[in-house]
Amino acid sequence: MNRLIRQSLRIIAAMLLVLNTGCWSSQEIEDLSIVVGLGLDVANESKFERDIAKQGGAYPKRNVLTATVQIVPPISGRGQRQGQGQGQSQGGSSGGKAYLNEKLTGDSIFQIYRQFSVRRDRPLVGHHLKVIVVASDLAKQYSLEQIFDFILRDNDIRPSCLVVVSHRDAIEALSSSEPGEIPAFYLTGLVNNRYRSNKILPPVTLIKLDSTMQSGTSFLLQNVVTYNGEHKFSGAAIFKGSSKKWIGELTQFDVEGLSWIRGDIHGGVLKAYAPGGYTVTYEMRDSSSKIIPKVKDGEISFHIKMKSEGRLIEDWSFPEIPSTEGYLKEMEKVFEKQASKQIDQVLHKMQHVYHVDVGGFDKELQIKHPKLWKKIKDQWDDTFSRIPITYEIDIKITDAGSSTD
Amino acid sequence: MSSSNTGPKENISTSQAAVMVINYMLGAGILTLPRTTAEAVRTPDAWISIIVSGLIVLAAGWILVSLCKRFQGKTWFQFVPEITGKWIAFLLSLLVIGYFMIIAASEIRILAEVTGLFLLEGTPIWAIVLPFMWIGLYLTLGGINCIARLYEIILPITLVFLVLALLLSSKIFDADNLKPVLGSGIMPVLRGIKPTLLSFTGYEIMLVATAFMKFPKKATRAVITGISVPVVIYTFTVVMVIGGMSINGVEKRTWPTLDLMRSFEVQGLLFERFESLLLVIWIMQIFSTFTVTLYAASLGWSQILNRKFRTFVFALLPVMFLIAMIPKDVTEAFKLGDTVGYASVFLFGVIPLILLLVSLVRKKGAKPN
Repeated sequence: MNRLIRQSLRIIAAMLLVLNTGCWSSQEIEDLSIVVGLGLDVANESKFERDIAKQGGAYPKRNVLTATVQIVPPISGRGQRQGQGQGQSQGGSSGGKAYLNEKLTGDSIFQIYRQFSVRRDRPLVGHHLKVIVVASDLAKQYSLEQIFDFILRDNDIRPSCLVVVSHRDAIEALSSSEPGEIPAFYLTGLVNNRYRSNKILPPVTLIKLDSTMQSGTSFLLQNVVTYNGEHKFSGAAIFKGSSKKWIGELTQFDVEGLSWIRGDIHGGVLKAYAPGGYTVTYEMRDSSSKIIPKVKDGEISFHIKMKSEGRLIEDWSFPEIPSTEGYLKEMEKVFEKQASKQIDQVLHKMQHVYHVDVGGFDKELQIKHPKLWKKIKDQWDDTFSRIPITYEIDIKITDAGSSTD
Repeated sequence: MSSSNTGPKENISTSQAAVMVINYMLGAGILTLPRTTAEAVRTPDAWISIIVSGLIVLAAGWILVSLCKRFQGKTWFQFVPEITGKWIAFLLSLLVIGYFMIIAASEIRILAEVTGLFLLEGTPIWAIVLPFMWIGLYLTLGGINCIARLYEIILPITLVFLVLALLLSSKIFDADNLKPVLGSGIMPVLRGIKPTLLSFTGYEIMLVATAFMKFPKKATRAVITGISVPVVIYTFTVVMVIGGMSINGVEKRTWPTLDLMRSFEVQGLLFERFESLLLVIWIMQIFSTFTVTLYAASLGWSQILNRKFRTFVFALLPVMFLIAMIPKDVTEAFKLGDTVGYASVFLFGVIPLILLLVSLVRKKGAKPN
């Protein structure tokens, strides 16, 4: 008898192991809609929503924004039908789209998120959200703090998600005309090209956005321009630190100037015209900068020291001028002048057009003169506009490439 | 007397005692420490606060062990009556037992909250907590030797993975976030001491562990090692978290250390995301904090009531579960943890000093050497 009990206990214990595999609230990946991109636009109800509303399918809401979620992979057949049904510009009519864009309008991002559950059988999961695109029009009206509140609170969305601003509609930035391409991945991939171009801003992830917003300084976000399902990173959107609203844009040229000031160039191109009128191009290998804040009798001024090394990579002189040492020295001056132009322009924009400091001057002042910083930090953007800034730039051509003549 | 309750040859080595202190200290705190410190300090100097309070705790640990060493082979519950007399001792022991129980309960609650939020969304709390507690029960029944041996396995894993995960975050580390050093003077650092002291609770296990040490003379060394390792780990964590997310970013995140892990992805390695890794080692640490407090509380009851140890291990489990379920939400759970934390400053910072002085004056206990 005793043995029997022990035996059966053993069997029960063994059977309990089956229940112990740790799959309590598991969800099959096939049954989920994985969101990889999120676009936020000014409210623009789709035909679907208007039609549904006519049938009485609306819920009480103000139309504040339209959220577009990008889902991969689209369920075959169904994505096609819905894409056409909504009549949106979701790229060409070629069948090979690797993603599905769905948009809904409302005034609470979370409610919109959940509203997809009455619209799609597969629930949305946000763990793999890669990029959030905010339309500049929306960011003009609402503070980023409001727009991103849910996103920063949510426990699924990772703080490593990239944030960019689209010049036109965000849904356009999340659409692609190229078959097989997933725009969300495409946009994140572009950021990795920083080692090729200094026109790309250092990536701003959610966590960086959050800490910058908390610190109250003005900041930049990467700007995306779109045309007909194609995109390009171009310039930067400026956000005012006090309101966290979109106030303007920097051009590519400005961003290049800014990259000199910040000294975080990982690679890039500087094109200039030599005195003879022909094109010369410099490839940056290495660059560094130092912003030196100076305080004299309560007057603040900045001096920026910038250094760069690289090579002369293209020279259109005809007949060809051999790249002698003297010639390279001459070219260095030409490039320095061109870089100065970029720097002057971006400084002018920061100080006199937008009255914001997005060059990291505040951080340097804070580090070197913390006491002074405490006094002036609340009206820093205004103070900054009146501060004299001087700079020196030193470009060194270390080689002239494989062919020297 | 202790042998009759807990089995015959129970003793632990010096390093095992140190490992117990380390594992006890590293607990729920590491996920929230950067925030609690940043909130109080509000300058990037938070890491200095950690070091300063680490030094304070080292002093407290030294005092506590000096007291224990005067009563070799006896735990707190056994030697306090010799100093203060029966009734005060009974009260003090009850306080300490209650403290251990609430610590165990609050660890369980934080475990439930975090796994519910980030790992097993949708799994009911009891389903997460009960198996965890049962395994803890199983370990605790094995006595201090089993506990110490398991901790020796857990600790290296924890340290390797924690340091690895933190080093990977150097991808988003920016030294400028840690500057200026002492930009607002020393005051912010001092403000940070109070909340950071809480994360250093754990050395009090020496009240029990010293009695089981093979070489009680080396208890001081054990407690100093036991406290120093968490000081280094905590400082490193806070430096990496603030360096990665900046002081402003840390202040508003509920679980900053976890968010640091969620703020980057590494491509090309076996894993892209490391927060689960951090959570796994963190759960092991919660487990060790839970088991060691369960053990200490059960031993306390068994020694003051002079009953069998095993009974109390079983009896305390449901009580701890109930205490763990008292807080209505995370905020209250944090508050519970903080309250007992402050109690610990009094219980294990002030009282041992008083007892040590009293025992010196009344010439109770043996001289340590």
